[in-house]
Amino acid sequence: MITDFPNSPLPLPNPADLDDELAALGGAEIIPKAMRRTLFPVITKEDVFNLMLAQRQTPEKVVADFAEAYRAYVGAGFALPTASGTSSLHMALVGAGVRPGDEVIVPAFTFIATAQAVVAAHAIPVFVDVDPVTYCMDPAAAAAAVTERTRALMPVHVHGLPADVPALRALADRHGIALVEDASHAHSAKIGDRVAGSLGDAAGQSLMADKNFPLGGEGGIAFFAQEESYERAVSYLARHGIDYGMSWVAAAFGSSQLKRLPYYDEIRARNAALLGEALRGTGLFTPPHVPAGHVHAYNMYRITLHPEAVGLDDLPVYAVKEAVHELLVAEGVPAREWQNTPIPCHLPFQHRDGFGNGYPFSLNPGAVRDHRPEDFPVTLGMLDSTLVLCRELRSPVEYERILRYADAFRKVARRPDAIRKLVEDREYVRPYEKAARLG
Amino acid sequence: MELFDTATVLTRVLTSGVVMSIEKSDRELPGLERLLTKKTRRSKAVLLNSRTGAIHAALAGQGIGHGDSVALAEPDAETAAFLAWLGVHVTAYDGPAAYDHIALDPANADRLGELAAGATAPALVVDLTGLGFGPAAAVLTDDPRLWARAERLKIFGAYDLRTMWTQEEADADLVPGVQFNYRLSPLVAACVRMALTQAQTQAAQTQAAQHRPAVTSGATQS
Repeated sequence: MITDFPNSPLPLPNPADLDDELAALGGAEIIPKAMRRTLFPVITKEDVFNLMLAQRQTPEKVVADFAEAYRAYVGAGFALPTASGTSSLHMALVGAGVRPGDEVIVPAFTFIATAQAVVAAHAIPVFVDVDPVTYCMDPAAAAAAVTERTRALMPVHVHGLPADVPALRALADRHGIALVEDASHAHSAKIGDRVAGSLGDAAGQSLMADKNFPLGGEGGIAFFAQEESYERAVSYLARHGIDYGMSWVAAAFGSSQLKRLPYYDEIRARNAALLGEALRGTGLFTPPHVPAGHVHAYNMYRITLHPEAVGLDDLPVYAVKEAVHELLVAEGVPAREWQNTPIPCHLPFQHRDGFGNGYPFSLNPGAVRDHRPEDFPVTLGMLDSTLVLCRELRSPVEYERILRYADAFRKVARRPDAIRKLVEDREYVRPYEKAARLG
Repeated sequence: MELFDTATVLTRVLTSGVVMSIEKSDRELPGLERLLTKKTRRSKAVLLNSRTGAIHAALAGQGIGHGDSVALAEPDAETAAFLAWLGVHVTAYDGPAAYDHIALDPANADRLGELAAGATAPALVVDLTGLGFGPAAAVLTDDPRLWARAERLKIFGAYDLRTMWTQEEADADLVPGVQFNYRLSPLVAACVRMALTQAQTQAAQTQAAQHRPAVTSGATQS
């Protein structure tokens, strides 16, 4: 049985480990290969039992009960369970009143599903840069992109940090347009007491099994503030014969996991705090910024590098990042880039074939842009200078593991000489000069 | 499928710890793909999370998109609405069809092979929803290009479920414009596979019983 107790528990950190040679140079690894695997999602006997019990109910009731329980948790007005995060975003847009040919403003840094959901709604994604501190949609950039055909702003609570909803809400109200959240990373994230998914006119959220709140495989949910929006989405599905239905199997698993979500949230917050404290002590690294009043869900944990703090400011920051990445992976920390180029520079938004023959882009040629990475300098700067922990921070990564991650960052930060040598030996290129990647 | 059987399958998959469709160690989705290709005698399978996802994949796999026309035999009202949403026009059916369609349920699940044998279109859409585990479907084909395009439609341009993160593509024509998450859950796939296997087994047992020689009085004597 899979539990949150690993088969091979890591030993507690030993301060002497930090004095070892770097693993990439032949020293001992902070986390040995045999102990690197993290389990997610955690599946308990209770989950198995709850799935068996779900068979005694109708599939419709299992899905409806799940949707209602999670809607109540989020505090949204109405909820529509769907088959995936993409379909939930599609329904959120439709419910918010987005129609074919409308423009929807989205951030250039997100998962590609955000923008593809706009295309699914037969609308046009208009990409804007992100804020340099939060990495969420920049309200000023969004304001500059509004036109007469803009129907909605769709900020992403990227990595689990709520976007600047107050500023975006004011912008949306000023123009009479909708605010639609992409809350796919932001389960249990909050601004004040309000949970992500209940902040906008509508929201979509992925519940795939790699998210902080996992369903049994694939799933999503759309939230609506008003009944009228919910009804608009439901009638759209019926009118167009689209099946976005959620499987009862996935829903039953979700109902069971929902009961442990607050516990997992606490573990993740603890892990983030422990790691953040360690990173601040290195000089080279800083943890994600969390504005006052925001609760970060830490679906991912984006770490910023500061080469100047360790005397490496004469080197390109992207090269320092690449070298650090190599050294961390060798120590057993599965750091990664997670995106290397702005989404509008991925092939589907370069080709713009859409549903075929250029639809829906052909409905509004004036909104279409041939983007280059340089059009989004803040996103590029972020991609140059940051690394990400993904599943590795998700609940319930054990206490010993997060302490060892912290030690690995400390160990690498102590060795600017090794970082410099790697940069000199390698021929690193800027992230976006490599083939576009989603992960 | 009996409740006990479903419980057994769900327990087996949950105990494996792998319930995610993009997990490298998943065995359930490839298992269902193998079963479906074997039953239908098609070389490739694309698993999807709904009948409409499968119709979309079958058409996109052939490069049929918005503004194009296809020949189909009298689609039902729901399918006609979905095709209209895709922007695909249906013309009078004079063959060949763009895709064939089979809907399975417990009553005909054992006849998949027989039903597939009569299908002639480049893509065969098999709706598995009627088996009772939620929306589920598959596209079967012998056309590797159709398969490749359909896979990329359902998973954000990935080569396959295990490489969804890379967008590097040697053949840019394979990258679809619009991309969805039409992926199927391994848990649902496992249940569907069990239902199809059991239907086949039960049908074989029934057939064997029907062909058994009549019991004679002498045979019952001890």
